[in-house]
Amino acid sequence: MGKLSFSLKPNFLGLLKFLNSFNWFIVFFSLVNLSVCIYEDQIGKFDWRQSYVGRIKFAQFDTVSTAKKIIVATEENVLAALNLKTGQVVWRHVFESASTGNIELLHVAEKVVTVSGSNPYLVRGWDSATGVLLWEWSLTLQNNDQAEFSEWFVENSALVHMLPVFGSHIEVSMYNLMTGQNRGSTSKLPALWTNEGCVLSAPYYTCLSGNPGSHLLISMDLTSNAVQLISKPLSQLITNEYDSSLRSLDGNSIVPGFILGDKKISMIKNNEFDFLSVELMDPSASVAIVDSSNGLIILQIWSDDEKGFFITGHSLATGKEVAEIRRPASGLSIPSPEISAVTCGTSRDVQPCRLLVTAQDDASHLLHQNGRVVWTREEALASVVAAEFVDLPVSDLDAAIESEFDQKEGSVWAAFSRRLQQQWQQLRTFLASLQAGEQRDHSQPLVRDYFNLHKMIVILTDVGKIFGIDNLTGEIVWRRYERGVDASRAVFYTRRHASLLTVVAAHEETGNGLIISFNPIDGSLAGERRMQLDTRLLQCTLLNKPDQEKLHALVLLDSEENVQVLPRSAAVHVDNTFMYVADKSTAKIQGYALRYDGKEVVAQKTWSLNLAGGGAGFGPDGDSGAHRIVGVWPKPSAERAHSPGRVLGDRSVLYKHNNPNLVLVLTEARDLHHKESWVVAMCVDAVSGAVVTSQVQRRARALPLAVHSDNFLAYVYYSEKHRRPEIATLELYEGQERWLEAGAAFSSFASNNKMALVSRAAYVLPALPAAAALTRTERALAARHVLLALTTGAIVEVPWAYLEPRRPVTPTPEQREEGLIPYAPELPLPAEAVINYNQTLHRITNIYTAPSGLESTSLVLAAGLDLFYTRVAPSKTFDLLKDDFDYYLIAIVLSALIVATYSTKYFASRKLLKMAWK
Amino acid sequence: MKYFVAHIILQIVLHYCVAIDYDGWLDIKIEHSLNCNTETFCSRGNISLKSIRSGTPVVDQILFTKHHIEEIKELASIDGFYSIRTLCSSPDNKEMEFLSSLKAKAFLDSGLSDVINVWVLPNGAVMAVNFQVDNSSQALSLSNNKIHSKFYLRYVEQAPVPDTASYIQKLEREREAREKGEVKDNRSFLAKYWMYIVPVAIFVMISGATNPEPAAQAAR
Repeated sequence: MGKLSFSLKPNFLGLLKFLNSFNWFIVFFSLVNLSVCIYEDQIGKFDWRQSYVGRIKFAQFDTVSTAKKIIVATEENVLAALNLKTGQVVWRHVFESASTGNIELLHVAEKVVTVSGSNPYLVRGWDSATGVLLWEWSLTLQNNDQAEFSEWFVENSALVHMLPVFGSHIEVSMYNLMTGQNRGSTSKLPALWTNEGCVLSAPYYTCLSGNPGSHLLISMDLTSNAVQLISKPLSQLITNEYDSSLRSLDGNSIVPGFILGDKKISMIKNNEFDFLSVELMDPSASVAIVDSSNGLIILQIWSDDEKGFFITGHSLATGKEVAEIRRPASGLSIPSPEISAVTCGTSRDVQPCRLLVTAQDDASHLLHQNGRVVWTREEALASVVAAEFVDLPVSDLDAAIESEFDQKEGSVWAAFSRRLQQQWQQLRTFLASLQAGEQRDHSQPLVRDYFNLHKMIVILTDVGKIFGIDNLTGEIVWRRYERGVDASRAVFYTRRHASLLTVVAAHEETGNGLIISFNPIDGSLAGERRMQLDTRLLQCTLLNKPDQEKLHALVLLDSEENVQVLPRSAAVHVDNTFMYVADKSTAKIQGYALRYDGKEVVAQKTWSLNLAGGGAGFGPDGDSGAHRIVGVWPKPSAERAHSPGRVLGDRSVLYKHNNPNLVLVLTEARDLHHKESWVVAMCVDAVSGAVVTSQVQRRARALPLAVHSDNFLAYVYYSEKHRRPEIATLELYEGQERWLEAGAAFSSFASNNKMALVSRAAYVLPALPAAAALTRTERALAARHVLLALTTGAIVEVPWAYLEPRRPVTPTPEQREEGLIPYAPELPLPAEAVINYNQTLHRITNIYTAPSGLESTSLVLAAGLDLFYTRVAPSKTFDLLKDDFDYYLIAIVLSALIVATYSTKYFASRKLLKMAWK
Repeated sequence: MKYFVAHIILQIVLHYCVAIDYDGWLDIKIEHSLNCNTETFCSRGNISLKSIRSGTPVVDQILFTKHHIEEIKELASIDGFYSIRTLCSSPDNKEMEFLSSLKAKAFLDSGLSDVINVWVLPNGAVMAVNFQVDNSSQALSLSNNKIHSKFYLRYVEQAPVPDTASYIQKLEREREAREKGEVKDNRSFLAKYWMYIVPVAIFVMISGATNPEPAAQAAR
């Protein structure tokens, strides 16, 4: 045997060599396996999706079909049917997001009819049960300038289009609803009395007209054959006519009417104004007139800042209050409510009234007539501005252990007694948790789990509503509505780990800085609470050094270049702090150095770049040839780089250029000489203002999509030459030798006029992306993948190995050994790499990623019209057991083995004893 | 043919180096914040280029006086910044302003030597002017109070486009190779298929070794 193995030895080595030479093959196969898909039974296990429709613009109850629904049309250009009982989306159509998808009219009868677009208009009919398109015809108006003032309504199965030319006439056209046939061509009704303040309460068009002091209330039936004017002097109706205004009734009121001067409600009946005996209960009240078993009812809803939300109902005939419809003040908070739709059971079946109420915070509530909330839809989540994954606080038990190890001072005996105390405490809390566990095991306490997979997602929306969402279930834990917040450029800052989060935004009216600090776990205000600054903010940042209370101070730079530090006591810590401000339209970037001079923090402007390249800035026509900044991408804060270099095939190391202050700036310009647009990418050191590298794409348009991390960056642009999206990737290297000693801190000022080696490449993208992000893991050990959200509604995970600019066209054996994939100009986007499998996500605007406690796993939240959360494992779940791991089998086998070992031991000893006796 | 390819490559390289389709003069006025009596910035010198394409500059800078040195030492003592403002003029643009700063201490230590990087777009527009302390060489003496500036004109490079041409060429080459037929493999049978034979042999061997040898047991 020994001889044989000796003679085989060289062959063994040969086999190993052979395997080695086929290394690249193995690498290739492992990459093929990188496509991480989930199994069918894992659907919904790690991910959730929430569908939204946006702020409701029009809504109508569909009472005709058997399954009761509400048909809604929204500001986000979505037509959808909501389940009446649960509020779930039954079907949904997402139109174009531009003005071409704008919904102008929703009419629900047997079929759902919409008018959408802006000259040309599309009239479509939909089946209310399934949402299937039944018919469609288009309509182009001759008078394009006035088209935006168009009003539409449906009367007697005819679509009426009304176009007022203010101060002159009204054009009224009627069309067949199904075919678009013009019934009796356009008629021009003379109306000198029209102005911008007129309201349409179909079929009447009502205006306040005339000279100040002698106002007339004029109304006209648009559909009658003979022109009939109803008019009444205003002075007879209200005493103070200067603050009079007209407002229409809400909630698809069944009789034409209007509200005069936020006070009086009027109907138009038999060509006469009929002022009701019931007055408006509150100037801001929303009013609807609805048919019910008790005859016509006037419903009013309003909200009081202190007292809360009210509903009242009055009978139209008698003017008496309906007892059942009443919601006196209560804790329910619905800011500035509006009746979107209302329905009451008519005649025999005594169904109560139900109201769909849309509030200022974009939330829609379905209310019972007594004010009970049936369901609530938080439509603000359809427009997410910023999101942050927040770690949950550790449990009391873990906190006690941590605090014990924090205390270093004291003698051995003190430490020992403390240990004993802690142990006693731990035992007590454990027993307490056992007792309490039985009572509240369904409501998990919000504490950190072992792998830190359970987090709180804090979301800031466009209307200024902030949500705290449990990332495992997708449930909204808390919500907080802040009035008057211009959230368009708001930023989140984690001030103190798991207990203080700050939003820096602007005030809606003044544009001044607005700071809201709150506890991210329960949503209660904390720290500075809500703080209104009296200046506009240019830039803000966090101090990376926390104070004694582990609070990171907020440093704010205002438009007068003054610096504020919150809290003030932290000003002494400001040292070596740098900021940059980029102006998008003028393409100027300025850098500031902040220093504490003993009294206050001062900002000194240290560098400025003018990326506009000499033009005078973009003019109103946007075509002056100067560059404008499309976006600025710094490296993610608190990011780790796991290795300083890459090992090449020949075992040498290519060191990365890891400048933590590097910022990618993308600009776009139109070159006037060549009539083409350029995309310029610049990597700027944000501390010294030095340009590290730059490149220009000709005949291309920039898209605000880029990723930047470690020593690599990638950005997407649209090639006008080839009419396709492409992605440019760059990697920065120092070369085979380090510039600095290993472990030396990087300084932007200690430059040694070496230029970083840049490897660049570009790839063709077979689909148009709408958002891009990088996966993030705790220690950056796992591979980095780029997540591309496509306009098709898929999120594709692309390994960086495919985007790598060093991919060679014809690889040498060394490059193969290194694991570089041979270059292919087109980037593969395989269907297996779609992380949201068949759940199409509409209009994704942002992807947010966060690391979890598991090195393999990165948490992903995609926001757009829908919210989608999942977790991805870029290097596969190397630190996790498989989902279907058979614990029982392993346990049984192990215990059986142990039993077998001991029993055989026993039998063996018996046998030995017996043998000894022989 | 070879020479022709080489020529093309040379042309491409040349084009890449001077990736600029515009030529013209460039004048850079340098101002700094030292020893200026009333104003914030006063002149430090001037750099002028006859042609952006050739990139040869004419640098003309003032000598530092005692006042300058004193002031910069004062700045260095508080670890302050020595700020430089540049105004670039070209036929298309007048006086584009850029600002850059050096750590005063580092500038003093390096013997008043700095590196000036000017980034230029292919259409000749200046995008950035940076000053950096030059500490690559050993510190120069401060004796002559002269500023040692190294000037670099850097062009914003043309970014690569998806390289379809060479990929198609590679595919063509591979196809041609396939059409020509595989290279005749005239190795011996064993040399060709040893990797299949060896595992089988090993398997046979291992299974042979693990089999109990009945003869030996019988002997016991």
